[in-house]
Amino acid sequence: MKYMLMFIDGGQGMPQTPEGQAVYARIGEWFEELHKSGKLQSGEELQAARTATTVRFNGGKAVVTDGPFIESKEHVGGFAVVEAADLDEAIELAKRWPGGGPVEVRPCVDHSEGT
Amino acid sequence: MRGPLGRDVEARDAVAAVFREEAPRLIGALLRQIGDFDLAEELVQDAIVEALEHWPREGLPERPGAWLMATARRKAIDRARREARGREKLALLVASEPAPAGYEPEDRLRLIFTCCHPALARDAQVALTLRAVAGLTTAQIARAFLVSEPTVAQRIVRAKRKIVEARIPYRVPEDPHLRERLDEVLAVLYLMFNEGYLSSGPEAPERRELARDAEWLAGLLVRLLPNEPEPLGLLALMRLHLARADARFDDRGELVLLEDQDRSRWDHAAIEAAGRLIERAAALRRPGAYQLQAAIAAVHAESPSWEATDWRQIGALYELLLGMLDTPVVRLNRAIALRWVRGPEAALEELDSIAPELDGYHLLHATRAVMLRALDHEAEAAAADRRALELTSNPAERALISRRLEGLA
Repeated sequence: MKYMLMFIDGGQGMPQTPEGQAVYARIGEWFEELHKSGKLQSGEELQAARTATTVRFNGGKAVVTDGPFIESKEHVGGFAVVEAADLDEAIELAKRWPGGGPVEVRPCVDHSEGT
Repeated sequence: MRGPLGRDVEARDAVAAVFREEAPRLIGALLRQIGDFDLAEELVQDAIVEALEHWPREGLPERPGAWLMATARRKAIDRARREARGREKLALLVASEPAPAGYEPEDRLRLIFTCCHPALARDAQVALTLRAVAGLTTAQIARAFLVSEPTVAQRIVRAKRKIVEARIPYRVPEDPHLRERLDEVLAVLYLMFNEGYLSSGPEAPERRELARDAEWLAGLLVRLLPNEPEPLGLLALMRLHLARADARFDDRGELVLLEDQDRSRWDHAAIEAAGRLIERAAALRRPGAYQLQAAIAAVHAESPSWEATDWRQIGALYELLLGMLDTPVVRLNRAIALRWVRGPEAALEELDSIAPELDGYHLLHATRAVMLRALDHEAEAAAADRRALELTSNPAERALISRRLEGLA
């Protein structure tokens, strides 16, 4: 089953400090390990939340606004889609996330079932 | 067949006891085979309805579990013919070889770990465990937690849906994770027990049925994991509390404090038996928070009188407990012991240090009132008692604090 791990951070990206660089290196290793195990489907690091643009639909009309879709101090800073046997395995991968922020684990809808 | 059961209460209890043992095993076995919680429960309900028709007339079968399993399988075939829903899953069950008993030894244990999975909200864990493992109806759970039946039903439906949709596994966690997950199960059972033992709501001071259900579940866990010391500790703790339950309320239903309880009304045989559980746990040489709390409760329970209480030992046990579980509530309980080891001033100092974190907890203020009164600070004590009164709706606790405020206790 596919799960998306959403990495939450302060929306600023990794700080340009030695500590920030060290965390960044560990995140690279986390992805590398996952990739080698064949469990990584895809993953991206997102640019800072200030770069976000939101398109809303107002009575069928698209309205473009600056900023992320929700006013918050916490944002999705990146994601990984992983293949895991069950929620426990996905949680184990999330527990090893070195980024420090929370990780939301969400199962993906499986469109292959029942077809 | 063992012969007709008759209509007496004993027979009804015998059937209820069989259901209680067999139903979670059956749900667990079916869940393993078809992977659908709802359907598994419905099949078990079908089998129980059939048993209720036959057993009172014909007597208990020799192997009630196998009888129920065979009936559930037959019901599964009927259902698969009748309706499309779940047909593929039912086919899995019908096609599988019926094992001698149809059960695996770990079916109930798997069920417990699934119901208490940390990805489920605590109230859902509690409701699901009571329903699927202890066999309570939605109505019984609603009554026990003073919430509406639709609320409980919704919690259960949502939890089951998450189990399926997020694929929460149906298995006993393996070693590096077992302890952590076991802690989660124990926390669910202890919350259940505490809510029954001293309820937080206004309608009744205790709901001992719920406390007994939690105790039964802890006993089941001990039978399933006999070499884990913490379930033994929790079971001993619950039994020590229940052994004193009859002396906790007076004729008017008001709460009697430990120091005023009539110790001849305690169940001394149960206290001794709980002591043996603690020894059994200790022999496994892995101390834990529940074992220590049970040991503290045992010192109280084994003391012939309030005056003879071994406060030094209780204080020492609290120090060990703090080393494992340093929470404000543990510090609050230790403060009560501190009063008798080092005096009310030391106790008050400790209480004041945790006051910011426990400001919303009535027992912090009630305990502060006791210490302040012991130090002759009557006005401050009354203020603390009034604050406690604002924070609890339990009728027996309210009555006790009110009496104290009126200077009657």
